[in-house]
Amino acid sequence: MNPQGVQAQPATFVALLLFTLVSLGLGVVANLVASRKAGFLRKYFLGNRTLGAFAVALTAAVMSGGTFMGFPSLVYTYGWVVGLWICSYMVAPLTVLGILGKRIGQLARKTGAITLPDLFRERFGSPALGLLTSIFIMLFLSCFLVAQFKAGGLLMKIVLPSATYDWAAVEDLGAQTDAAYVVGLVIFTVTVVAYTAYGGFLAAVWTDVFQSIVMAIGVLILLPLALSASGGMEAATRKGMELAGDGFGFGPGAGRNFHPVTLAFSFFVMWAITGMGQPSTMVRLMAFRDSRTLRVSILYLVIYNVLVYVPLIFIFVCARSILPGLEKPDEVMPRLVIALSNPYLAGLILAAPYGAVMSTVSGFLLIIASGLVRDVYQRFLRPNATEKELEYASYGATAVIGLAVAIVALNPPKFLQLIVVFASSGMAAAFLMPAIFGAFWRRANAAGAIAAMVVGVSITLGLYAYGSILGFRGVDQGIGPPSSGFGAYYLGGFEPCVWGLIGSFVAGVVVSKLTPPMDPARVSLLFDMQPADAPAPATLELHPELRAEVLDEGNP
Amino acid sequence: MSHQVDPVYRNAKREAIIIGLVWLAATLFCCFYSYAYGYIREGRELGVDDLDPILGVPSWVFWGYLVPWGVCALFTFWFAGFYMTDDDLGRDHSSELEADIRERGLGE
Repeated sequence: MNPQGVQAQPATFVALLLFTLVSLGLGVVANLVASRKAGFLRKYFLGNRTLGAFAVALTAAVMSGGTFMGFPSLVYTYGWVVGLWICSYMVAPLTVLGILGKRIGQLARKTGAITLPDLFRERFGSPALGLLTSIFIMLFLSCFLVAQFKAGGLLMKIVLPSATYDWAAVEDLGAQTDAAYVVGLVIFTVTVVAYTAYGGFLAAVWTDVFQSIVMAIGVLILLPLALSASGGMEAATRKGMELAGDGFGFGPGAGRNFHPVTLAFSFFVMWAITGMGQPSTMVRLMAFRDSRTLRVSILYLVIYNVLVYVPLIFIFVCARSILPGLEKPDEVMPRLVIALSNPYLAGLILAAPYGAVMSTVSGFLLIIASGLVRDVYQRFLRPNATEKELEYASYGATAVIGLAVAIVALNPPKFLQLIVVFASSGMAAAFLMPAIFGAFWRRANAAGAIAAMVVGVSITLGLYAYGSILGFRGVDQGIGPPSSGFGAYYLGGFEPCVWGLIGSFVAGVVVSKLTPPMDPARVSLLFDMQPADAPAPATLELHPELRAEVLDEGNP
Repeated sequence: MSHQVDPVYRNAKREAIIIGLVWLAATLFCCFYSYAYGYIREGRELGVDDLDPILGVPSWVFWGYLVPWGVCALFTFWFAGFYMTDDDLGRDHSSELEADIRERGLGE
């Protein structure tokens, strides 16, 4: 089989188009169904805290374009050891939903928070912390979004029939412009921005659920096809070792010290621990219906991870023997699908990575938009804005951010996969420790939370900056993916997220201990039993006369 | 000064500590087992003859992360299905916060 010669057919494009239309339809229905009784912002950005178990599980599945593009290419290239890169998903349902879920859900209700900056600001009583959180979210998620838009455009490009972009090729797009990519990017952008802006959080969640189901079906269809084409796992492993070397069957990786045991440890931290600190996860933890929902969603997510991630490892070990010598391993997923299945089935399976990208984008768009509308516009510029004004601001912000990112993605920077890892590490280093301190440590205060955030981000940025200097000088550290530019510095062999989290933890503890404790009344509201009519912390700030009552109720 | 600690906080903290310990055990087992039996290193060359496949996958993969994955799944079923408590997360104050933001705006 000539792997470079595999081409999509119009039927594949039709299947993908149908998938896109269903996603759009779900956005419209979400807008119509969402209750008008609640405040607009809570409805638009948090779905009225009514997420059910199935929705929480499938939207917390931590999948993105990287799951179906980057990860398969790593398995294809380096072999079985890449299983250690992802296998922390065995405990991720517990850690990601179970450690912080109940307390974040409770604190969000007690404070009335609907965004992550809202939550930190109200928990620690600090507008500066809220603003800093908004800035870091916008910084890191924007990096992430550019990568996802590029992945969406590339996927659409692979299945586009040439007739859809031939007309663009003859227009004045410039000699270097890839017309198919531009048309793919436009289709992707219009779809995802439209359904997200119109339907808000519920649209993002519903399409996410729909897309997650399609992804699972796609993976489960592909598994027997790949096993059959490769002659089974053992034959595929032997063939892979013959093609790529003994490292394909063992650690630390074929042809390169890709995944030493220090990085294996790092990725147990990366997915299972830093996953808790992602804003997209924490927003879900603020939106679930009740604690039973949380428990059941953990059960669903365990099943989902076993059904999707274990087969993904098997499939792309097999891919090495089915499509030997791919020039661009990043394309192994679509190439394999098109090679193994009939065109309509290929369209359905290809919808999996496309859906992963779309669901990631819709969730992130809303997080950035909510940061702008709630935490900047309403909090700092227009506290008295009417519901209608906030509604238009929310639609507008979501659409404008989506279009702005799409314009950057027209000419995306290189090293996007590394930028995604960098953004994940940076967000975890920024938000995880403040969230843990806020949930479980009474003594934590705003100064400690700010210190944890700043030190965590600084360490992560510093290690990436130093790694990039080495990369641009052509110094190969010899571990991890090869880098000829932007990349991490693996201090002691560990991924920067490990050092970022350690630094964030130490800074948070030391600074909290060295600075005055928080108002005991606010702490009591959030950590002690209180009557049902106890005020929110923001009300306590406006009406200090309530403090005595709160302290009395909290300290019998 | 004695505090009547919120039971949701108390339960969540206990559950979080148990989950943290499970994460640590899974991480250490997978990393150490895989390194011991599945990594090529100085003094331990491995090749096709060392695959020792179980159900088609190399034995170090089977015992190093597939079996632990199954064990973790079973533990999670017990933990989330029978151990975690259903707690009342309380009243949602988001409307109150909205009103507070407007009140603060009027005062400025």
